[in-house]
Amino acid sequence: MNGWTGKIARVNLSNKQIQIEEPAAELYYQYLGGRGLGSRILWDEVNEKVLPLSPENKLIFMTGPLTGTRVPTAGRFAVTSKSPLTGTVFDSNSGGIWGARLKKTGLDGLIIEGQAAQPVYIVIDETGIVVKEAGRLWGLDVPETTSAVQAVEGKGYSVACIGPAGENLVRISCIMNDNTRALGRGGLGAVMGSKKLKAIAVKGSKSVGIADKEKLQFVLYETNKWLKASPVTSQGLPEFGTPVLVNLFNESGIFPSYNFQESQYDDAENISGETMAEKLTVRKKGCYGCPIKCSRETRTARETGAGPEYESLWALGPQCGIGDLEAIAEANYLCNRLGLDTISVGVTLGCAMELAQRNIYDSGINFGDAGKLLQIINDIAYLRGAGADMAEGSRSLAQKHGAESLAMQVKGLELPAYDPRGVQGMGLGFATSNRGGCHLRAYMVGPEILGVPKMVDRFSTHGKAGLTIFYQNVNAAMDALIICRFVGLAVSEEYFARLLTAVTGINYQPQDLHVIGERIWNMERLYNLREGFSNRDDILPDRLLTEPVKNGPSKGHVVHLEPMLEDYYRFRGWSKDGIPTEKKLAELGVI
Amino acid sequence: MHREFNQIGRDLFLQGLNSSHSGNLSIRLGDRLVITRRGSMLHNLKETDLIETGLDKNDSHIALASTEIGVHRSIYKNTSALAIVHAHPVYATALSLVEDEIIPIDSEGQYMLHKIPVIGFEHTVGSDEVARVLPEFLKEYKLIMIRGHGSFATGQLIEEAYQWTSSLENICKIIYLTRTLKGEIKETKSEKYTKW
Repeated sequence: MNGWTGKIARVNLSNKQIQIEEPAAELYYQYLGGRGLGSRILWDEVNEKVLPLSPENKLIFMTGPLTGTRVPTAGRFAVTSKSPLTGTVFDSNSGGIWGARLKKTGLDGLIIEGQAAQPVYIVIDETGIVVKEAGRLWGLDVPETTSAVQAVEGKGYSVACIGPAGENLVRISCIMNDNTRALGRGGLGAVMGSKKLKAIAVKGSKSVGIADKEKLQFVLYETNKWLKASPVTSQGLPEFGTPVLVNLFNESGIFPSYNFQESQYDDAENISGETMAEKLTVRKKGCYGCPIKCSRETRTARETGAGPEYESLWALGPQCGIGDLEAIAEANYLCNRLGLDTISVGVTLGCAMELAQRNIYDSGINFGDAGKLLQIINDIAYLRGAGADMAEGSRSLAQKHGAESLAMQVKGLELPAYDPRGVQGMGLGFATSNRGGCHLRAYMVGPEILGVPKMVDRFSTHGKAGLTIFYQNVNAAMDALIICRFVGLAVSEEYFARLLTAVTGINYQPQDLHVIGERIWNMERLYNLREGFSNRDDILPDRLLTEPVKNGPSKGHVVHLEPMLEDYYRFRGWSKDGIPTEKKLAELGVI
Repeated sequence: MHREFNQIGRDLFLQGLNSSHSGNLSIRLGDRLVITRRGSMLHNLKETDLIETGLDKNDSHIALASTEIGVHRSIYKNTSALAIVHAHPVYATALSLVEDEIIPIDSEGQYMLHKIPVIGFEHTVGSDEVARVLPEFLKEYKLIMIRGHGSFATGQLIEEAYQWTSSLENICKIIYLTRTLKGEIKETKSEKYTKW
């Protein structure tokens, strides 16, 4: 095979059995890899009776057909599992170099199942797969774990691991790789922790098979022309990193603060990309094969670390009423060390702060309490005091105090840094996302704010259902390839179809990527329906539907979800209740 | 919606991409589509010139729809397009009579479109053959030329499909103009786009 290796390893931690499997070529063709193949395997192997933190749940690490090639940003990998935070099918993907190294060992992916009796870590290289005892690693944070594994296995190994938060089964914990990259969302760190799997070290140097090197060279040249031509990918992100979005979104009135009570933040300038570049940035960093290099090595007066990225900056900052850039950066460093999802941590903290503001529950932290951030984040990771409640996520915290409407989440997943009252399509995207409140599924700020491919009226609901579906499908295919979302702001799927054709030797047309994306989307929807989700879960927090924005460019707006949702189900070819019809599923080859 | 149709229709006419009563526009709304009325003047569209009908099923409005409705339906059913612009650009139509594919020689055109296939049909207007063949090309290319007839461009938004149409005519004007000049073209990097 070209592109794929054709091999997936299955590691059972209960009985330590390791098998190499060769999935059918048709499965690769239909689901590509990454999120696509991961979701399909989860559908086939993890049914509705399986609890997310039980040995029966699986953790599926998957690369894509472009991973490890010279295609820009194609060093990514995805992890798919049943989420302990949302109960939905859940994938999270990450950059760095781990994904490319896994692929270069000769594997497309890795299915982890069962549960080890004692902590273990896995080593994968071209000689094979070994499960090793990890008792001395248990309790270490992410950088300590990475260093300890590399000290034994060698510096050439790339390490994905959990921190104390994952070990303690915190439902908003993540898996980290290459020290500072995160498979951030959905509590996948807790799934890894439940399996007593501390780390996976990978090292490989095998080349990925390329069917048509000349064609690949040609299409890469054309692709890179667009990346260089777009001010987003050639200037904005390289110069300021993802925080370049702070001023842009704040000026548009879609930059929420104080737990979405406001849609702008007064001190946004103090935490903007420009300010961060001036005050914190030490150097730019990029993932494998990435010409954009949006990551940042940063330094405060006390520490050095990575980030914060835009979402983390917002979650640990304005969402909590905090505008102290150094405090935000250090809170972000700590989350990375402990293995916590910065978005869910920030939104859960914001929820706790509003509970205190309304005298419902005083957890000891209030809006603006920058000085208490580090303590409470540690408490979350180690399940201490009020932190133990927050470790379950915002929905659980708010429910416990009879105020669920104050949790800014969808299907249990905390919302990211966009107030959908000022971007209607984003609201529909949040509500219908298969993994809960996620911005990346549709990323409607592309057409609604950034004008990619063309600017549309962000306050209008007209045409948003069709566009949202279009992007959900395209992005599902991109997550199966796996390509960074930022590339899509400069390069259309046409190029990726041609790149995929050059790499695999199979003729993929742009339209094929749409169909693959639609197949993945329906597959995931079916999974969630089997878990007991329904159209009642395609909803937003009350605040966003009923409380008009008080000030700024989005003043007076709420999300008009209902009419968009009706169109959405119809346009998807689903029933009025949001259930994929048998005709649609058969057409896509899902069943 | 009317404003958007009217603006694009007017601009197509003003740019010389359509004559007074030629061309048609549509957008997809799930299992419905909105298409311009048969014989409407795209540069002066009234609200009653926008006809909504089913993507699969006919209703009484079909009697008013553009003669190209079958082609539009087929494109929507077989591609992920959400908007279609059909136009009759003069230079592109002329070039389509002498070429099997249009390869841009200007930098902007090469960036945008790389290559535009030209397809010949016995019956070019509203034929089943066009409806059957066109989507296959539009799965891979943003727009195509029907020889001696006109262009079909797709996009997520009608503005996007308009952009490809406008770019196409610019590309063809430049090719036409350079062919009337006596000098040799200094750069021939366009040749590689035959492989696109």
